[in-house]
Amino acid sequence: MNAVVLPILPPLIAALAVLILRRGLPALALAGATLSLAGSLWLLVRVTNGQAETLLLPGLPDMPLRLVPGPLTSLLAVAVATVGTFVLIHAVGYMRRESGQARFYAVMSLFLAAMQALVLAGDWILLLAAWELIGLCSYLLIGFWFQRPEAANAASRAFLYTRSADLGLYVAVFLLIGSAGTSEIAVSLEAGGSVSTAAGLLLLLAAMGKSAQIPLQDWLMRAMAGPTPVSALLHSATLVAAGAILLIRSAPLLTPEVLFAVGLVGGITTVAAGVIALAEHDLKRLLAASTASQYGLMLIAVGAGVPLAALLHLLAHAAIKSALFLAAGDFQHARGGTAFDQLKGVGRARPWAFAGFVLAALALAGIPPLSGFFSKDAVIAAALSASGAPWLGPLVLAGTLLTGAYMARALRLLWQGSGENQPVAGSAWMRVGIWGLVIPAVVLGFAFGPIEAIIELPVAEAEGTSVVVLGLLAAVIGLALGWLVSAPHLLGPVYRWAQRGLAVGGGLTAGVGRPAMAVARGCDRLEGRLYAAVLGAGRASLAVARQVRVGDERLINGLIFSLVAGVRGLGARARTLQSGLIHHSLAISATATAVLLVILFSASLSF
Amino acid sequence: MGPDLALLTPEIAVLLTAIAALIAEMLRRPRISLVVAVIGLLVATGLTLRLVGTDTTVFGGSFRVDTLSTWAKLILLPATVLSMLLARVDVCGSAREGTVYSLLCFATFGALVLAGAGDTMFLVLGTLLTGLATFALVAYPDTDPATEAAMKFFVFASVTTAVMIFGLSYWFGASGSTLLADLPGMDTMPMAVILGFVAVVVGLGYKASLVPFHFWAPDAYEGAPLSIAAYLSVVPKVGALFALTQVVRELPADSGWTAVIAGLAVLSMTYGYLAALVQDNVIRLLAYSSIAQSGYFLLGIVAVGSSELALPSIILFAAAYAAMNLGAFAVTAATGRTLSGFGGLGRARPLMGIAMVIFLLSLVGIPPLAGFVGKFMLFAAAIDVQFTWLAVVAIVNSVLSLAVYLRIIVPMYRRGESASAATDPSHGIVVITAFAATLIIGLAAQLFIV
Repeated sequence: MNAVVLPILPPLIAALAVLILRRGLPALALAGATLSLAGSLWLLVRVTNGQAETLLLPGLPDMPLRLVPGPLTSLLAVAVATVGTFVLIHAVGYMRRESGQARFYAVMSLFLAAMQALVLAGDWILLLAAWELIGLCSYLLIGFWFQRPEAANAASRAFLYTRSADLGLYVAVFLLIGSAGTSEIAVSLEAGGSVSTAAGLLLLLAAMGKSAQIPLQDWLMRAMAGPTPVSALLHSATLVAAGAILLIRSAPLLTPEVLFAVGLVGGITTVAAGVIALAEHDLKRLLAASTASQYGLMLIAVGAGVPLAALLHLLAHAAIKSALFLAAGDFQHARGGTAFDQLKGVGRARPWAFAGFVLAALALAGIPPLSGFFSKDAVIAAALSASGAPWLGPLVLAGTLLTGAYMARALRLLWQGSGENQPVAGSAWMRVGIWGLVIPAVVLGFAFGPIEAIIELPVAEAEGTSVVVLGLLAAVIGLALGWLVSAPHLLGPVYRWAQRGLAVGGGLTAGVGRPAMAVARGCDRLEGRLYAAVLGAGRASLAVARQVRVGDERLINGLIFSLVAGVRGLGARARTLQSGLIHHSLAISATATAVLLVILFSASLSF
Repeated sequence: MGPDLALLTPEIAVLLTAIAALIAEMLRRPRISLVVAVIGLLVATGLTLRLVGTDTTVFGGSFRVDTLSTWAKLILLPATVLSMLLARVDVCGSAREGTVYSLLCFATFGALVLAGAGDTMFLVLGTLLTGLATFALVAYPDTDPATEAAMKFFVFASVTTAVMIFGLSYWFGASGSTLLADLPGMDTMPMAVILGFVAVVVGLGYKASLVPFHFWAPDAYEGAPLSIAAYLSVVPKVGALFALTQVVRELPADSGWTAVIAGLAVLSMTYGYLAALVQDNVIRLLAYSSIAQSGYFLLGIVAVGSSELALPSIILFAAAYAAMNLGAFAVTAATGRTLSGFGGLGRARPLMGIAMVIFLLSLVGIPPLAGFVGKFMLFAAAIDVQFTWLAVVAIVNSVLSLAVYLRIIVPMYRRGESASAATDPSHGIVVITAFAATLIIGLAAQLFIV
């Protein structure tokens, strides 16, 4: 068996087993995730030794499905499996009292399998399939509590947002396959020219949808209506990461114009989402906005032409953000909600979770020697060394400063004040899950050297003390501001606007929804008139038909009835012919024979 | 001789099966007799599959192993098995049960001989073999109606067969040979050709129950056990019609025989459906319906020798007819012989009701069922040889037939009546098999042929 299927198959089998067996659910799902982790580690080892091979599966004619175990893909597979395993461990405790566990564990396992397939996919067709599957799974998971209207709405919203953006991926894939003549990703990326610009922009659209970049960020905050382990998995290494992974993998394709667009989107998002995070009144929503902001940083790195920096930050962020979310899940159980009003002082009551949260928050802010320090350093270096440094540099530093500010604000709100605590069931499991991810979040920075060695991508050139100093300065100032100054003071006039998610003139609802509804209403009115016209024509023809029918009934019916009477009469005759007397029938047969003979003889004589 | 026998393995298998079934009956093991007969016939069917595509003759041209005779085996052997399963319900526990299975095999053997006849003597032999076995089968219940029906059947068969042998003697005299392949050599003696042909039409027409040689059929169907009626309506009939096809293949095209066949077709179709319209007994209704269906076969026979479509259309309609007619008889076996027995069947036994509707609509020729494809091909064959008027008559008759079959369908879905269908598993097997065949033949033929 090819080692490349090892990360994918165990969770897939686990999903099926959960659905079929319906007992021992957490154990099955955990076994799938753990085996997937072991498989992806084994794959990584083989890849670094240069042993792993591409697996070809039968697909479309002349376009086989490919699973490619490259250094980048196998490293991402390890990240996905690690996060998946610890999130599932946490979920054992978190989901203990929920109903619908089979659904939860089956979809989580399927999600993992699909994400691994997406990461390892070597051709666009398989990637599209996996892309759709994770979209479906996230829909199912965000809407896990589908009885709650806000969860059902959030699931639909996430699905529709990402689906609309997916259109970009579809068109891009068709363009690339059409121009390259093959569905193999590595080959098709060598396109170039106007095709690559168009395809690159379309891929950016798809990535914006999945990675929640401005202006498609709204669904991510609402997706917090789902269970917290789901948020942790979605935000760190899977759904949201898929957009950034897509851009990192297609980096060779991106032309300068596309890189500029990527950097612009990332820069705007990292600042705007940071501001939104600073104004949030709910811990999970704050973390969600922070996710968008951090993926903005990754896009900046890609736009600066250093996808390796984006990859490093993606890996560090995966560990950090999942740890933060898992800790938030612990707080949520302790206080029955995630609004900051409810969470006042929860840090004192849940010291283990809070300690993990603090470490992860400092890592995210970029405090040495935690992992975020190194990865953010790489991003800043990338931005400062790029051709667009004059505008990318300030955006990155602003993003870093905002990161420190909103994380410090969250820490302050969790630490100060007091509230009523509830007993938490299954907190041991949750603790294991949190700390299983906090540890990589702390130490991952030291693994960046070997990772850079494995992955054959260019590194940023402007490594230097100025970068370190600038980054650290921004982080520390941010942390200090966030801890000392309250959000309304810090943001001033922007605060209220940020609380509404920086919606421009009513947001997407006003910009897209209302005009669309107006057009729809117009169409409806037109339809109504058409309908009335058709109805009128129909009535007129019915009136004509009625007249015709009156004529018919008198004429044609009479004809038909007489025909029927005639046929029945013939039938009765046929019966009398059949008297049942054998000499009678034989006589008829004999006569008929004679008639036949006469006909034939006369016919032959006349010739 | 060796290769000849190898080509005849299916026939030999049927013959051995008949004998084995008889031996089992002699040992008082009727159930074994049935099993042996069913397995033997299925084995013979399997042996036939090897011969598909063969086109040759054996015994000096007197017996043909060609498309017609091969497909006759593939259609008639399974049809016999289904009839046997129906017969088991009728005769189970009676005194000489096993002989029924044996006689069914013998009669089928006769029908196969007819379908592959390449010699006038084989025509006679096949007619007699089928006839003798089926007289006994009709008479089997030993009741007054059955005996009377068998008696009529026997007298009718004797007279018509005698006429046929008499006419065939003219052919022998004129051509000096009994081979059908030598018929074209008689061009100089048109009178002899005509006499012989009329005689063959009488002899085979009685077996195929063509009007005006059909008189025995309704009485025999009514008097015989229902399963035997089902058998009579399919196996000997198809055998005789295939034999007629074998004969007309050798006739010169301009001797006027097409006009005779076309005339018989019109008579059979029209008379059959008109008479069916006034029957209250479902068996008699189905008997007249089968007379009319024989008329449809003649549309294909008219085209034999001039159109490529002739043989495929005859074979396809034979397969469709066997499936839908056996299915209709099997449902009737479960409901009873009167029209009132069908009241409310569609509500009381929905599956059986649906099956019956499908069989009857297929007999009418509604797409996409088997009967439609068969009739469509037959019409195409007739039109192909400039017999458009005949196709028009056939289509008009199909409309008439809808009225006939609706007489069964309508009461099935009437409210307030409840049919008491007493079904045996055998009925179910036959109905399901025929149902599947009716659908599959129709769909497959539309996909692959039309």
